[in-house]
Amino acid sequence: MLLNRSIAFMMKPIDPRVNRLPGFGQGSIQPKAPLDQLGTYEVFVQAKEGKPFQHEGIVHASDIELAYILAKETFTRRFTCVSLYVTETRDVYVSPLTDGQTSSYELLPPATAGNGPTEAYEVYHLVKRGKQHVHVGEVMASSPQEAMHSAKEKFGAGKVVYNVWVIRKSNIRYTNEADKDLWLTLPEKKYRDAADYKAGDKLTAFLERVKHSV
Amino acid sequence: MYGGGNTFEGIKTDSLAQEDPQKLAEFEARIARGEKIEPTDWMPELYRKQLVRMIEQHAHSEIIGALPEGTWITRAPGFKRKLSLMAKVQDEVGHAQLLYSAAETLGKSREQMIDDLITGKSKYSNIFNYPAFTWADSCFISWLVDAGAIVNQLANAKGSYGPYCRALDRICAEESFHLKYGHHCVIYLASGTEKQRQMFQEALNRWWPPMMHFFGPSDKISAHTEVLMRWKVKMSTNDDQRNQFLDMYVPKIWELGFTIPDPNLKKNPETGRWDYTEPDWEEFKRVINGDGPCNKERLEVRRVAEERGQWVREALKSPSLRYVTPLA
Repeated sequence: MLLNRSIAFMMKPIDPRVNRLPGFGQGSIQPKAPLDQLGTYEVFVQAKEGKPFQHEGIVHASDIELAYILAKETFTRRFTCVSLYVTETRDVYVSPLTDGQTSSYELLPPATAGNGPTEAYEVYHLVKRGKQHVHVGEVMASSPQEAMHSAKEKFGAGKVVYNVWVIRKSNIRYTNEADKDLWLTLPEKKYRDAADYKAGDKLTAFLERVKHSV
Repeated sequence: MYGGGNTFEGIKTDSLAQEDPQKLAEFEARIARGEKIEPTDWMPELYRKQLVRMIEQHAHSEIIGALPEGTWITRAPGFKRKLSLMAKVQDEVGHAQLLYSAAETLGKSREQMIDDLITGKSKYSNIFNYPAFTWADSCFISWLVDAGAIVNQLANAKGSYGPYCRALDRICAEESFHLKYGHHCVIYLASGTEKQRQMFQEALNRWWPPMMHFFGPSDKISAHTEVLMRWKVKMSTNDDQRNQFLDMYVPKIWELGFTIPDPNLKKNPETGRWDYTEPDWEEFKRVINGDGPCNKERLEVRRVAEERGQWVREALKSPSLRYVTPLA
């Protein structure tokens, strides 16, 4: 037997916002203009003071300031957060991805001396495939390639690292002191937590009422 | 919010013959060992294609799924419910962002995915092509549609593709609030006035058939999924997920004194599985192909949103902007 359906017909919009939209139902559906292919920015979050930053994902934005705001909205609406930073995807220098007992540091191309000024780089490691890249520290170098080799010397000894990222610090939009207010109200937003929806007493009272009315 | 396997499209495994057999064997061995596949790892084209399709459909489902509930924010009963529903809708849109990003790592741009949604080329979960007439409909979605989505997403979070699994871990953590909020709303309706109880019973009557569709066609008629299961793209069959949902939530619905509109629904003591009236798969196909009560409205909302946002995108254009495929 098939279940009968009661509303298998096309209906007028019932969303009051939709009914107010100018032009609703009058346009044909066409591919949109190719305008919103904005830049991609990688997002790194620090959950607690003293814990390392961790890669969380990306946002699309027109510039790094907007990327920072979107990152805050996308990745830190709940859970604890004390800081985050963003950088353009193209500014992250990536080593080969490896597996098994092969460390990515073993596959680096030979170091070439950079001719630019020495700068600071943030260094990220992937030490467990399937997990996120985690911050391990910073190095000074005159090129990204040199930064990879400096990271190998400083952080790569005696362990298998499946992937290394280095990011020039000058390309990062960090959290400054004034920004830290962004997360001050997070603990107050209990309506975002499952624990705020306790209805056990109401359910018990209802079940008792039903039992006594039978 | 998403139920997997929602199309009848088969998969063609012919392309596997074109793949390098040694690389294919290494790829399958990696998955068999329980390791994740990352964007720069070698993968068969069929794996990439199926993942893009699945993650993209999931992302569209989140963004379209926010529409029937979003319309109830202004009419939710009381400030607290409005606040909660607003947070939930924001979560759903945020989930879409995470999922589009995961799909992008496989090489399809977000812009192309949005185009395919608007033009109807890509699908989304069928259940969102039905209307939310009353507050009780919104409560049904928050509790039971999200419950179904959690069944599906918890399974897929153990899949093989790293970026998708990481997005799902975050999404599942957030969905737990949705589920508890939805249950809270329904308990209040159930223990309220007769009119409130009647309102939820009517919502249950309307939404039960789409809910049974939610997990996709019956295993008896769905496309062959053996290779997708082996590659951990699909983690359990449609019928297994449907059965798990019934196991977890039918007792809770009955506990509240509501009647599920299926006279054949019962747990079979011999098989340990649920017997139920076979859902109307013809209707499922009709709705997914565009002939549902709200298909036109849902896509029109997206089209108008794109059109109205065009001047903003135009203003943001800059020669220095460069789209780069996300890293992980």
